[in-house]
Amino acid sequence: MSEAIRAAGLPVLALLLTLGGLAKVITSGREATPGGLTRLGPAILIRETWRAPAMVSCALGEFTLAALLMAGTHSLVRWLTAAFFAVSTFVLVELRRRRPDVGCGCFGEVSSTPVGLRAISRTVVLTLLALGTVGVHQSGWQLVSGLGLLHVLGLAVVVGTLLLVSPELEETVARLRYQAPCELRPVDHGRGLEKLRSSATWRTHRPLLTSDRYTDSWRELCWRFMVFPGEAEGRPVDVVFAVFLSGRRPPIRVAVIDSDSRNVVTLQESIALSAGH
Amino acid sequence: MSHQAAERRSAMAAAALGRSPSATYSANDTTLCAITGEILDISPHLIILETPEGVEKRLVMAPWTTAWRGSTTSPNDLPVGAQVILRTQRAGRVVDRIWADVTRVNGIILSINGGPKDRTVEVDCGPHRGRRTVSIPYQTSGRIQVRHPQFEPGYLFDVIGLREEGVVSARTPATSQPPYKATAIPPASRVYGSVPSRISGTATWYDAYFENGNRGAAYPMLEEADTGCADGGVSCAGLPYLAIGSLLYVRNVCTGRAAAVPIVECGCLTGKFCDRCVECGTSPRGRIVDLPPTTFVELGGDLTSGCFNARIGLG
Repeated sequence: MSEAIRAAGLPVLALLLTLGGLAKVITSGREATPGGLTRLGPAILIRETWRAPAMVSCALGEFTLAALLMAGTHSLVRWLTAAFFAVSTFVLVELRRRRPDVGCGCFGEVSSTPVGLRAISRTVVLTLLALGTVGVHQSGWQLVSGLGLLHVLGLAVVVGTLLLVSPELEETVARLRYQAPCELRPVDHGRGLEKLRSSATWRTHRPLLTSDRYTDSWRELCWRFMVFPGEAEGRPVDVVFAVFLSGRRPPIRVAVIDSDSRNVVTLQESIALSAGH
Repeated sequence: MSHQAAERRSAMAAAALGRSPSATYSANDTTLCAITGEILDISPHLIILETPEGVEKRLVMAPWTTAWRGSTTSPNDLPVGAQVILRTQRAGRVVDRIWADVTRVNGIILSINGGPKDRTVEVDCGPHRGRRTVSIPYQTSGRIQVRHPQFEPGYLFDVIGLREEGVVSARTPATSQPPYKATAIPPASRVYGSVPSRISGTATWYDAYFENGNRGAAYPMLEEADTGCADGGVSCAGLPYLAIGSLLYVRNVCTGRAAAVPIVECGCLTGKFCDRCVECGTSPRGRIVDLPPTTFVELGGDLTSGCFNARIGLG
Protein backbone atom coordinates (compact mmCIF):
# COMPACT_ATOMS: atom_id res chain seq x y z
CA MET A 1 0.00 0.00 0.00
CA SER A 2 2.80 2.42 0.86
CA GLU A 3 4.32 1.77 -2.59
CA ALA A 4 0.94 2.63 -4.18
CA ILE A 5 0.71 5.88 -2.21
CA ARG A 6 4.26 6.82 -3.22
CA ALA A 7 3.46 6.14 -6.89
CA ALA A 8 0.11 7.97 -6.69
CA GLY A 9 2.06 11.09 -5.75
CA LEU A 10 3.37 11.44 -9.32
CA PRO A 11 0.12 12.30 -11.17
CA VAL A 12 -1.20 14.28 -8.20
CA LEU A 13 1.95 16.41 -8.04
CA ALA A 14 1.89 16.91 -11.81
CA LEU A 15 -1.77 17.98 -11.71
CA LEU A 16 -1.25 20.41 -8.82
CA LEU A 17 1.82 21.93 -10.45
CA THR A 18 -0.10 22.45 -13.70
CA LEU A 19 -3.11 24.01 -11.95
CA GLY A 20 -0.87 26.25 -9.85
CA GLY A 21 1.07 27.34 -12.94
CA LEU A 22 -2.13 28.15 -14.85
CA ALA A 23 -3.52 30.15 -11.92
CA LYS A 24 -0.29 32.16 -11.69
CA VAL A 25 -0.29 32.96 -15.40
CA ILE A 26 -3.94 34.13 -15.21
CA THR A 27 -3.35 36.19 -12.05
CA SER A 28 -0.25 37.87 -13.45
CA GLY A 29 -2.23 38.92 -16.55
CA ARG A 30 -5.05 40.53 -14.56
CA GLU A 31 -5.04 44.24 -13.90
CA ALA A 32 -4.66 45.35 -10.32
CA THR A 33 -7.90 45.63 -8.37
CA PRO A 34 -8.44 46.39 -4.68
CA GLY A 35 -7.79 43.16 -2.89
CA GLY A 36 -5.88 41.89 -5.90
CA LEU A 37 -2.68 41.86 -3.90
CA THR A 38 -4.05 39.07 -1.71
CA ARG A 39 -3.99 36.80 -4.76
CA LEU A 40 -0.35 37.42 -5.54
CA GLY A 41 1.13 35.31 -2.77
CA PRO A 42 4.90 35.53 -2.31
CA ALA A 43 5.20 37.84 -5.36
CA ILE A 44 4.01 40.62 -3.05
CA LEU A 45 7.41 40.52 -1.36
CA ILE A 46 9.25 41.70 -4.48
CA ARG A 47 9.19 44.97 -6.43
CA GLU A 48 5.99 45.71 -8.36
CA THR A 49 7.70 45.72 -11.77
CA TRP A 50 9.12 42.26 -11.11
CA ARG A 51 5.91 40.66 -9.83
CA ALA A 52 4.41 39.56 -13.15
CA PRO A 53 7.73 38.21 -14.56
CA ALA A 54 8.40 36.39 -11.27
CA MET A 55 4.97 34.75 -11.34
CA VAL A 56 5.32 33.73 -14.98
CA SER A 57 8.83 32.29 -14.31
CA CYS A 58 7.46 30.32 -11.36
CA ALA A 59 4.60 29.06 -13.54
CA LEU A 60 7.03 27.97 -16.27
CA GLY A 61 9.06 26.07 -13.65
CA GLU A 62 5.90 24.35 -12.45
CA PHE A 63 4.88 23.37 -15.98
CA THR A 64 8.35 21.95 -16.66
CA LEU A 65 8.37 19.91 -13.45
CA ALA A 66 4.84 18.64 -14.15
CA ALA A 67 5.78 17.55 -17.67
CA LEU A 68 8.97 15.80 -16.50
CA LEU A 69 7.16 14.05 -13.65
CA MET A 70 4.63 12.65 -16.11
CA ALA A 71 7.12 11.73 -18.82
CA GLY A 72 10.34 10.68 -17.09
CA THR A 73 11.63 8.48 -14.31
CA HIS A 74 14.85 10.35 -13.51
CA SER A 75 15.24 10.81 -9.77
CA LEU A 76 16.77 14.30 -10.24
CA VAL A 77 13.34 15.64 -11.34
CA ARG A 78 11.74 14.24 -8.18
CA TRP A 79 14.44 15.68 -5.97
CA LEU A 80 13.93 19.03 -7.72
CA THR A 81 10.19 18.80 -7.09
CA ALA A 82 10.82 18.06 -3.41
CA ALA A 83 13.21 21.02 -3.25
CA PHE A 84 10.59 23.24 -4.95
CA PHE A 85 7.96 22.41 -2.33
CA ALA A 86 10.49 22.68 0.52
CA VAL A 87 11.42 26.18 -0.65
CA SER A 88 7.68 26.97 -1.01
CA THR A 89 7.17 25.96 2.63
CA PHE A 90 9.92 28.32 3.73
CA VAL A 91 8.51 31.14 1.54
CA LEU A 92 5.00 30.67 2.98
CA VAL A 93 6.33 30.77 6.55
CA GLU A 94 8.24 33.95 5.68
CA LEU A 95 5.16 35.42 3.94
CA ARG A 96 3.03 34.71 6.99
CA ARG A 97 5.57 36.46 9.19
CA ARG A 98 6.05 39.52 6.96
CA ARG A 99 2.60 39.95 5.34
CA PRO A 100 -0.04 38.17 7.44
CA ASP A 101 -2.80 39.79 5.35
CA VAL A 102 -1.78 38.14 2.08
CA GLY A 103 -2.97 34.78 0.73
CA CYS A 104 -0.62 32.12 -0.60
CA GLY A 105 -1.67 32.76 -4.21
CA CYS A 106 -1.15 29.06 -4.93
CA PHE A 107 -4.33 28.74 -7.02
CA GLY A 108 -5.07 32.34 -7.93
CA GLU A 109 -8.27 33.97 -6.70
CA VAL A 110 -9.44 31.09 -4.51
CA SER A 111 -6.17 31.24 -2.53
CA SER A 112 -6.77 34.76 -1.26
CA THR A 113 -7.35 33.78 2.38
CA PRO A 114 -4.32 34.75 4.51
CA VAL A 115 -1.65 32.09 4.84
CA GLY A 116 -2.42 29.84 7.78
CA LEU A 117 -1.23 26.55 9.19
CA ARG A 118 -3.27 24.59 6.64
CA ALA A 119 -1.55 26.20 3.64
CA ILE A 120 1.86 25.55 5.22
CA SER A 121 0.90 21.97 6.12
CA ARG A 122 -0.08 21.37 2.53
CA THR A 123 3.34 22.32 1.19
CA VAL A 124 4.91 20.08 3.85
CA VAL A 125 2.68 17.20 2.70
CA LEU A 126 3.60 17.92 -0.93
CA THR A 127 7.31 17.96 -0.03
CA LEU A 128 6.94 14.56 1.66
CA LEU A 129 4.94 13.30 -1.31
CA ALA A 130 7.67 14.45 -3.72
CA LEU A 131 10.33 12.80 -1.56
CA GLY A 132 8.24 9.63 -1.61
CA THR A 133 8.30 9.49 -5.39
CA VAL A 134 12.10 9.20 -5.40
CA GLY A 135 12.81 5.60 -6.18
CA VAL A 136 9.47 4.84 -7.86
CA HIS A 137 10.36 3.11 -11.12
CA GLN A 138 7.37 4.32 -13.11
CA SER A 139 6.66 7.66 -14.78
CA GLY A 140 3.41 9.47 -14.03
CA TRP A 141 2.06 8.63 -17.46
CA GLN A 142 2.84 4.89 -17.10
CA LEU A 143 1.03 4.90 -13.77
CA VAL A 144 -2.08 6.61 -15.14
CA SER A 145 -2.26 4.34 -18.21
CA GLY A 146 -2.01 1.17 -16.13
CA LEU A 147 -4.06 2.17 -13.13
CA GLY A 148 -4.80 -0.72 -10.75
CA LEU A 149 -7.10 -0.95 -7.73
CA LEU A 150 -4.20 -0.40 -5.34
CA HIS A 151 -3.17 2.72 -7.20
CA VAL A 152 -6.74 4.07 -7.09
CA LEU A 153 -6.76 3.54 -3.33
CA GLY A 154 -3.36 5.26 -3.12
CA LEU A 155 -4.69 8.20 -5.15
CA ALA A 156 -7.75 8.45 -2.88
CA VAL A 157 -5.54 8.61 0.22
CA VAL A 158 -3.28 11.28 -1.31
CA VAL A 159 -6.15 13.41 -2.66
CA GLY A 160 -8.10 13.06 0.61
CA THR A 161 -5.09 14.19 2.65
CA LEU A 162 -4.50 17.16 0.37
CA LEU A 163 -8.16 18.22 0.47
CA LEU A 164 -8.03 18.08 4.24
CA VAL A 165 -5.15 20.57 4.37
CA SER A 166 -6.39 22.81 1.53
CA PRO A 167 -7.83 26.13 2.70
CA GLU A 168 -9.30 26.69 -0.79
CA LEU A 169 -11.88 23.94 -0.31
CA GLU A 170 -14.40 26.06 1.62
CA GLU A 171 -13.98 29.00 -0.76
CA THR A 172 -14.50 26.79 -3.82
CA VAL A 173 -17.63 25.19 -2.34
CA ALA A 174 -18.99 28.63 -1.38
CA ARG A 175 -18.37 29.91 -4.91
CA LEU A 176 -20.05 26.92 -6.51
CA ARG A 177 -23.07 27.11 -4.21
CA TYR A 178 -23.52 30.87 -4.46
CA GLN A 179 -26.33 32.26 -6.54
CA ALA A 180 -26.90 36.00 -6.58
CA PRO A 181 -30.41 37.17 -5.63
CA CYS A 182 -32.76 37.72 -8.55
CA GLU A 183 -32.53 41.51 -8.11
CA LEU A 184 -28.79 41.43 -8.89
CA ARG A 185 -28.79 38.87 -11.70
CA PRO A 186 -28.90 39.90 -15.33
CA VAL A 187 -31.97 38.22 -16.82
CA ASP A 188 -32.53 37.72 -20.52
CA HIS A 189 -35.05 40.17 -21.90
CA GLY A 190 -37.05 37.48 -23.69
CA ARG A 191 -37.54 35.36 -20.58
CA GLY A 192 -40.17 37.67 -19.08
CA LEU A 193 -42.07 37.81 -22.36
CA GLU A 194 -41.97 34.03 -22.65
CA LYS A 195 -43.38 33.59 -19.14
CA LEU A 196 -46.05 36.21 -19.79
CA ARG A 197 -47.26 34.60 -23.01
CA SER A 198 -47.62 31.22 -21.35
CA SER A 199 -49.70 32.62 -18.47
CA ALA A 200 -53.45 32.66 -17.84
CA THR A 201 -53.26 36.42 -17.17
CA TRP A 202 -52.08 36.95 -20.75
CA ARG A 203 -54.91 34.83 -22.16
CA THR A 204 -57.48 36.70 -20.05
CA HIS A 205 -56.30 40.13 -21.19
CA ARG A 206 -55.39 39.17 -24.76
CA PRO A 207 -58.78 40.40 -26.19
CA LEU A 208 -58.01 43.89 -24.88
CA LEU A 209 -54.76 44.19 -26.83
CA THR A 210 -54.58 45.78 -30.26
CA SER A 211 -51.03 44.54 -30.85
CA ASP A 212 -48.85 41.65 -29.67
CA ARG A 213 -45.77 43.85 -29.58
CA TYR A 214 -45.06 45.82 -26.47
CA THR A 215 -44.43 49.53 -26.73
CA ASP A 216 -42.28 49.84 -23.62
CA SER A 217 -40.46 47.41 -21.36
CA TRP A 218 -38.29 47.88 -18.32
CA ARG A 219 -37.01 46.03 -15.29
CA GLU A 220 -37.29 47.02 -11.65
CA LEU A 221 -35.73 44.71 -9.05
CA CYS A 222 -37.09 41.27 -9.92
CA TRP A 223 -40.03 42.49 -11.98
CA ARG A 224 -40.19 42.91 -15.75
CA PHE A 225 -42.81 45.42 -16.89
CA MET A 226 -44.25 45.34 -20.40
CA VAL A 227 -46.74 47.80 -21.84
CA PHE A 228 -49.03 46.74 -24.70
CA PRO A 229 -51.42 49.01 -26.62
CA GLY A 230 -55.08 48.09 -26.20
CA GLU A 231 -58.65 49.27 -26.29
CA ALA A 232 -61.31 49.16 -23.54
CA GLU A 233 -64.83 50.52 -23.74
CA GLY A 234 -63.91 52.29 -26.99
CA ARG A 235 -60.98 54.14 -25.45
CA PRO A 236 -57.28 53.59 -26.11
CA VAL A 237 -55.59 52.03 -23.09
CA ASP A 238 -52.16 50.81 -22.05
CA VAL A 239 -52.14 47.28 -20.64
CA VAL A 240 -49.23 46.95 -18.21
CA PHE A 241 -48.03 43.49 -17.28
CA ALA A 242 -45.57 42.91 -14.43
CA VAL A 243 -43.82 39.53 -14.55
CA PHE A 244 -41.76 38.25 -11.63
CA LEU A 245 -38.45 37.02 -13.01
CA SER A 246 -37.75 34.20 -10.58
CA GLY A 247 -39.44 30.84 -10.08
CA ARG A 248 -41.12 28.35 -12.40
CA ARG A 249 -44.62 29.78 -12.06
CA PRO A 250 -43.96 33.42 -11.35
CA PRO A 251 -46.69 35.81 -10.22
CA ILE A 252 -47.95 38.12 -12.95
CA ARG A 253 -49.78 41.38 -12.25
CA VAL A 254 -51.67 43.55 -14.68
CA ALA A 255 -53.18 47.02 -14.83
CA VAL A 256 -55.16 48.76 -17.54
CA ILE A 257 -54.40 52.45 -17.76
CA ASP A 258 -55.96 55.20 -19.81
CA SER A 259 -53.49 56.04 -22.60
CA ASP A 260 -54.18 59.75 -22.46
CA SER A 261 -53.90 60.22 -18.72
CA ARG A 262 -52.62 58.39 -15.70
CA ASN A 263 -56.08 57.36 -14.54
CA VAL A 264 -56.33 53.70 -13.73
CA VAL A 265 -59.30 52.18 -15.46
CA THR A 266 -58.97 48.69 -14.04
CA LEU A 267 -56.63 47.53 -11.34
CA GLN A 268 -56.14 43.84 -10.73
CA GLU A 269 -55.19 42.26 -7.46
CA SER A 270 -51.85 43.69 -6.38
CA ILE A 271 -49.02 42.97 -4.02
CA ALA A 272 -46.59 45.19 -2.23
CA LEU A 273 -43.19 45.41 -3.87
CA SER A 274 -40.36 46.40 -1.61
CA ALA A 275 -38.63 48.77 0.70
CA GLY A 276 -40.32 52.08 0.53
CA HIS A 277 -38.89 54.77 2.74
CA MET B 1 -35.93 59.71 -21.66
CA SER B 2 -38.04 62.71 -20.70
CA HIS B 3 -39.25 63.34 -17.18
CA GLN B 4 -42.84 62.83 -18.30
CA ALA B 5 -42.03 59.40 -19.72
CA ALA B 6 -40.12 58.48 -16.55
CA GLU B 7 -43.07 59.61 -14.41
CA ARG B 8 -45.48 57.61 -16.53
CA ARG B 9 -43.39 54.48 -16.08
CA SER B 10 -43.42 55.02 -12.36
CA ALA B 11 -47.21 55.44 -12.39
CA MET B 12 -47.66 52.32 -14.52
CA ALA B 13 -45.44 50.23 -12.26
CA ALA B 14 -47.34 51.51 -9.23
CA ALA B 15 -50.67 50.62 -10.85
CA ALA B 16 -49.56 47.12 -11.84
CA LEU B 17 -48.13 46.29 -8.43
CA GLY B 18 -50.72 48.09 -6.34
CA ARG B 19 -48.35 50.64 -4.89
CA SER B 20 -49.48 54.14 -4.21
CA PRO B 21 -47.91 56.43 -6.81
CA SER B 22 -45.30 58.75 -5.31
CA ALA B 23 -44.43 62.30 -6.09
CA THR B 24 -41.38 62.35 -8.37
CA TYR B 25 -39.43 64.77 -6.24
CA SER B 26 -40.10 65.52 -2.61
CA ALA B 27 -37.73 66.49 0.14
CA ASN B 28 -38.71 65.67 3.70
CA ASP B 29 -38.32 69.29 4.73
CA THR B 30 -37.93 72.48 2.79
CA THR B 31 -35.77 74.54 5.14
CA LEU B 32 -32.96 74.29 2.60
CA CYS B 33 -33.62 75.19 -1.02
CA ALA B 34 -31.32 75.34 -3.99
CA ILE B 35 -31.68 78.01 -6.64
CA THR B 36 -29.64 78.26 -9.82
CA GLY B 37 -29.19 81.22 -12.08
CA GLU B 38 -26.98 83.96 -13.44
CA ILE B 39 -25.96 86.93 -11.30
CA LEU B 40 -27.49 90.18 -12.57
CA ASP B 41 -26.35 92.25 -9.60
CA ILE B 42 -24.79 91.60 -6.23
CA SER B 43 -24.24 93.78 -3.17
CA PRO B 44 -23.39 93.01 0.47
CA HIS B 45 -27.11 92.71 1.29
CA LEU B 46 -28.82 91.60 -1.91
CA ILE B 47 -28.26 89.31 -4.85
CA ILE B 48 -30.33 89.54 -8.02
CA LEU B 49 -30.47 86.45 -10.21
CA GLU B 50 -32.00 85.40 -13.46
CA THR B 51 -33.10 81.78 -13.19
CA PRO B 52 -32.92 79.38 -16.17
CA GLU B 53 -36.69 79.93 -16.63
CA GLY B 54 -36.01 83.64 -17.19
CA VAL B 55 -37.46 84.74 -13.84
CA GLU B 56 -35.68 87.49 -11.93
CA LYS B 57 -35.17 86.70 -8.24
CA ARG B 58 -34.05 89.00 -5.45
CA LEU B 59 -32.59 87.31 -2.42
CA VAL B 60 -31.26 88.59 0.87
CA MET B 61 -27.59 88.01 1.65
CA ALA B 62 -27.09 87.00 5.27
CA PRO B 63 -24.02 88.27 7.17
CA TRP B 64 -22.78 84.67 7.38
CA THR B 65 -23.12 83.97 3.65
CA THR B 66 -20.02 82.39 2.15
CA ALA B 67 -19.08 81.93 -1.48
CA TRP B 68 -16.87 79.68 -3.58
CA ARG B 69 -15.44 80.56 -6.94
CA GLY B 70 -12.36 78.46 -7.46
CA SER B 71 -11.65 78.96 -3.77
CA THR B 72 -13.51 80.40 -0.79
CA THR B 73 -14.15 84.04 -1.47
CA SER B 74 -16.26 86.98 -0.35
CA PRO B 75 -19.72 87.09 -2.00
CA ASN B 76 -19.01 90.70 -3.00
CA ASP B 77 -16.15 89.53 -5.21
CA LEU B 78 -18.40 87.42 -7.41
CA PRO B 79 -18.65 88.87 -10.92
CA VAL B 80 -21.91 89.79 -12.62
CA GLY B 81 -22.75 87.11 -15.18
CA ALA B 82 -21.41 84.23 -13.07
CA GLN B 83 -23.52 81.06 -13.10
CA VAL B 84 -24.34 80.30 -9.49
CA ILE B 85 -26.09 77.76 -7.37
CA LEU B 86 -27.37 79.12 -4.08
CA ARG B 87 -28.29 77.32 -0.90
CA THR B 88 -31.05 79.30 0.74
CA GLN B 89 -32.88 79.23 4.04
CA ARG B 90 -36.13 80.70 5.35
CA ALA B 91 -38.40 79.61 2.49
CA GLY B 92 -35.81 80.40 -0.12
CA ARG B 93 -35.39 84.08 0.73
CA VAL B 94 -32.06 84.18 2.57
CA VAL B 95 -28.84 83.06 0.88
CA ASP B 96 -26.65 80.85 3.00
CA ARG B 97 -23.97 79.63 0.57
CA ILE B 98 -23.02 80.42 -3.02
CA TRP B 99 -21.10 78.30 -5.50
CA ALA B 100 -20.17 80.24 -8.63
CA ASP B 101 -19.14 78.70 -11.98
CA VAL B 102 -18.58 75.40 -10.23
CA THR B 103 -18.25 72.30 -12.36
CA ARG B 104 -17.29 68.70 -11.88
CA VAL B 105 -15.48 66.44 -14.29
CA ASN B 106 -15.35 62.74 -13.59
CA GLY B 107 -14.55 59.91 -15.90
CA ILE B 108 -11.70 57.96 -17.41
CA ILE B 109 -8.44 59.68 -18.30
CA LEU B 110 -7.91 59.45 -22.07
CA SER B 111 -4.78 61.55 -22.48
CA ILE B 112 -2.58 63.99 -20.60
CA ASN B 113 -0.88 66.79 -22.45
CA GLY B 114 1.36 69.69 -21.56
CA GLY B 115 4.66 70.20 -19.88
CA PRO B 116 5.81 70.24 -16.28
CA LYS B 117 3.73 73.37 -15.50
CA ASP B 118 0.12 73.64 -16.70
CA ARG B 119 -1.36 70.47 -18.10
CA THR B 120 -4.57 69.47 -19.84
CA VAL B 121 -6.38 66.20 -19.35
CA GLU B 122 -8.91 64.75 -21.75
CA VAL B 123 -11.55 62.78 -19.89
CA ASP B 124 -14.18 60.34 -21.15
CA CYS B 125 -17.24 61.23 -19.06
CA GLY B 126 -19.41 58.40 -20.40
CA PRO B 127 -21.69 57.96 -23.40
CA HIS B 128 -24.22 60.57 -22.21
CA ARG B 129 -21.79 63.27 -21.17
CA GLY B 130 -19.13 62.92 -23.84
CA ARG B 131 -15.51 63.96 -23.58
CA ARG B 132 -14.28 66.97 -21.67
CA THR B 133 -10.95 68.70 -21.49
CA VAL B 134 -9.75 69.95 -18.13
CA SER B 135 -6.88 72.30 -17.57
CA ILE B 136 -4.78 71.67 -14.46
CA PRO B 137 -2.97 74.87 -13.48
CA TYR B 138 0.45 74.43 -11.93
CA GLN B 139 -0.68 75.83 -8.56
CA THR B 140 -3.39 73.14 -8.15
CA SER B 141 -1.53 70.25 -9.76
CA GLY B 142 0.05 69.15 -6.47
CA ARG B 143 -3.22 68.75 -4.62
CA ILE B 144 -4.87 67.09 -7.65
CA GLN B 145 -2.07 64.59 -8.16
CA VAL B 146 -1.64 63.68 -4.51
CA ARG B 147 -5.22 62.34 -4.65
CA HIS B 148 -4.70 60.88 -8.15
CA PRO B 149 -1.53 58.81 -7.72
CA GLN B 150 -2.23 56.84 -10.93
CA PHE B 151 -2.25 59.92 -13.12
CA GLU B 152 -2.21 58.15 -16.46
CA PRO B 153 -4.66 57.10 -19.20
CA GLY B 154 -7.07 54.34 -18.30
CA TYR B 155 -7.47 55.36 -14.64
CA LEU B 156 -10.40 57.21 -13.11
CA PHE B 157 -10.38 60.94 -12.55
CA ASP B 158 -12.69 63.16 -10.52
CA VAL B 159 -12.15 66.85 -9.87
CA ILE B 160 -14.16 69.92 -8.97
CA GLY B 161 -13.26 72.93 -11.02
CA LEU B 162 -14.09 76.37 -12.21
CA ARG B 163 -15.70 77.13 -15.56
CA GLU B 164 -14.40 80.37 -17.09
CA GLU B 165 -15.10 81.40 -20.67
CA GLY B 166 -15.82 77.82 -21.66
CA VAL B 167 -12.58 76.49 -20.15
CA VAL B 168 -12.67 74.17 -17.16
CA SER B 169 -9.76 74.45 -14.76
CA ALA B 170 -9.39 71.89 -11.99
CA ARG B 171 -9.29 73.33 -8.47
CA THR B 172 -9.71 70.50 -6.02
CA PRO B 173 -9.86 66.70 -6.18
CA ALA B 174 -13.34 65.28 -5.56
CA THR B 175 -12.17 61.88 -4.39
CA SER B 176 -9.16 59.74 -3.66
CA GLN B 177 -8.61 58.02 -6.95
CA PRO B 178 -9.41 54.28 -6.92
CA PRO B 179 -6.18 52.31 -7.46
CA TYR B 180 -7.49 50.14 -10.31
CA LYS B 181 -7.97 50.76 -14.00
CA ALA B 182 -11.48 51.57 -15.24
CA THR B 183 -11.52 48.21 -17.01
CA ALA B 184 -10.84 46.25 -13.80
CA ILE B 185 -13.72 47.10 -11.49
CA PRO B 186 -13.67 44.94 -8.36
CA PRO B 187 -16.73 42.75 -7.92
CA ALA B 188 -19.35 43.52 -5.30
CA SER B 189 -19.45 41.53 -2.09
CA ARG B 190 -21.69 38.49 -2.26
CA VAL B 191 -25.27 38.96 -1.09
CA TYR B 192 -27.06 36.01 0.42
CA GLY B 193 -30.85 35.85 0.60
CA SER B 194 -32.57 38.91 -0.78
CA VAL B 195 -31.15 42.35 -1.41
CA PRO B 196 -31.44 44.60 1.67
CA SER B 197 -34.17 47.20 1.43
CA ARG B 198 -31.68 49.96 2.18
CA ILE B 199 -28.19 50.24 0.78
CA SER B 200 -25.49 52.55 2.09
CA GLY B 201 -22.69 54.12 0.14
CA THR B 202 -21.63 57.39 -1.42
CA ALA B 203 -23.86 59.95 -3.13
CA THR B 204 -22.17 62.36 -5.51
CA TRP B 205 -23.32 65.13 -7.82
CA TYR B 206 -22.95 65.56 -11.54
CA ASP B 207 -22.42 68.67 -13.57
CA ALA B 208 -25.90 69.47 -14.81
CA TYR B 209 -27.18 72.52 -12.99
CA PHE B 210 -27.40 74.40 -16.24
CA GLU B 211 -29.92 71.82 -17.46
CA ASN B 212 -33.27 73.39 -16.86
CA GLY B 213 -35.29 71.70 -14.16
CA ASN B 214 -33.20 68.56 -13.93
CA ARG B 215 -34.29 66.82 -10.75
CA GLY B 216 -33.40 63.27 -11.61
CA ALA B 217 -30.68 60.93 -10.47
CA ALA B 218 -28.18 58.88 -12.43
CA TYR B 219 -28.06 55.26 -11.25
CA PRO B 220 -25.52 52.63 -12.29
CA MET B 221 -27.50 49.39 -12.42
CA LEU B 222 -29.73 49.85 -15.43
CA GLU B 223 -30.18 47.42 -18.29
CA GLU B 224 -28.53 48.24 -21.59
CA ALA B 225 -31.86 47.71 -23.39
CA ASP B 226 -33.38 50.43 -21.20
CA THR B 227 -30.68 53.05 -21.60
CA GLY B 228 -28.64 52.14 -24.66
CA CYS B 229 -25.61 52.43 -22.40
CA ALA B 230 -23.33 49.42 -22.82
CA ASP B 231 -21.12 50.61 -19.95
CA GLY B 232 -23.93 50.42 -17.37
CA GLY B 233 -24.84 47.47 -15.18
CA VAL B 234 -21.63 47.76 -13.16
CA SER B 235 -21.57 48.42 -9.44
CA CYS B 236 -19.19 47.40 -6.70
CA ALA B 237 -21.81 48.35 -4.09
CA GLY B 238 -24.10 45.39 -4.89
CA LEU B 239 -26.95 47.51 -6.23
CA PRO B 240 -30.04 45.84 -7.68
CA TYR B 241 -31.37 46.44 -11.18
CA LEU B 242 -33.73 49.37 -11.50
CA ALA B 243 -35.04 51.31 -14.49
CA ILE B 244 -35.39 54.81 -15.82
CA GLY B 245 -38.44 56.13 -13.96
CA SER B 246 -37.89 54.11 -10.76
CA LEU B 247 -38.02 56.14 -7.58
CA LEU B 248 -35.09 56.20 -5.21
CA TYR B 249 -35.43 57.38 -1.64
CA VAL B 250 -32.12 59.07 -0.97
CA ARG B 251 -31.16 59.94 2.59
CA ASN B 252 -28.15 61.99 3.60
CA VAL B 253 -26.86 60.08 6.60
CA CYS B 254 -24.85 63.09 7.78
CA THR B 255 -27.74 65.58 7.90
CA GLY B 256 -30.77 63.29 8.12
CA ARG B 257 -32.40 64.99 5.14
CA ALA B 258 -34.15 62.75 2.59
CA ALA B 259 -35.88 63.01 -0.76
CA ALA B 260 -37.59 60.82 -3.34
CA VAL B 261 -35.73 61.20 -6.62
CA PRO B 262 -36.62 59.54 -9.95
CA ILE B 263 -33.91 57.86 -11.98
CA VAL B 264 -33.58 59.69 -15.29
CA GLU B 265 -30.15 58.70 -16.53
CA CYS B 266 -27.65 55.87 -16.58
CA GLY B 267 -24.76 56.43 -14.19
CA CYS B 268 -22.46 54.52 -16.49
CA LEU B 269 -19.33 55.74 -14.74
CA THR B 270 -20.83 56.14 -11.27
CA GLY B 271 -20.67 52.40 -10.65
CA LYS B 272 -16.99 52.27 -11.60
CA PHE B 273 -15.97 54.37 -8.60
CA CYS B 274 -15.48 52.07 -5.62
CA ASP B 275 -14.44 54.90 -3.36
CA ARG B 276 -15.69 55.96 0.04
CA CYS B 277 -17.06 59.23 1.34
CA VAL B 278 -15.74 60.50 4.67
CA GLU B 279 -18.11 63.40 5.25
CA CYS B 280 -19.32 61.91 8.53
CA GLY B 281 -17.58 58.67 9.30
CA THR B 282 -16.49 56.38 6.50
CA SER B 283 -19.17 55.24 4.10
CA PRO B 284 -19.31 51.70 2.74
CA ARG B 285 -17.46 51.17 -0.53
CA GLY B 286 -19.01 52.34 -3.80
CA ARG B 287 -21.08 55.14 -5.29
CA ILE B 288 -24.77 54.40 -5.21
CA VAL B 289 -26.32 57.45 -6.81
CA ASP B 290 -25.29 60.53 -8.76
CA LEU B 291 -27.54 63.51 -8.04
CA PRO B 292 -28.13 66.79 -9.83
CA PRO B 293 -26.48 69.65 -7.91
CA THR B 294 -29.77 71.20 -6.79
CA THR B 295 -30.94 67.97 -5.17
CA PHE B 296 -27.47 67.40 -3.73
CA VAL B 297 -27.53 70.83 -2.08
CA GLU B 298 -31.11 70.48 -0.82
CA LEU B 299 -30.12 67.21 0.86
CA GLY B 300 -27.45 69.11 2.75
CA GLY B 301 -24.43 68.30 0.56
CA ASP B 302 -21.55 70.68 -0.06
CA LEU B 303 -20.66 70.84 -3.76
CA THR B 304 -16.98 71.38 -3.06
CA SER B 305 -16.82 68.27 -0.88
CA GLY B 306 -18.21 66.28 -3.77
CA CYS B 307 -20.06 63.60 -1.80
CA PHE B 308 -22.07 62.71 1.26
CA ASN B 309 -22.65 59.43 3.05
CA ALA B 310 -25.99 58.21 1.77
CA ARG B 311 -28.55 55.48 2.16
CA ILE B 312 -31.01 54.63 -0.58
CA GLY B 313 -34.32 52.81 -0.35
CA LEU B 314 -35.67 50.97 -3.33
CA GLY B 315 -39.14 50.80 -4.65
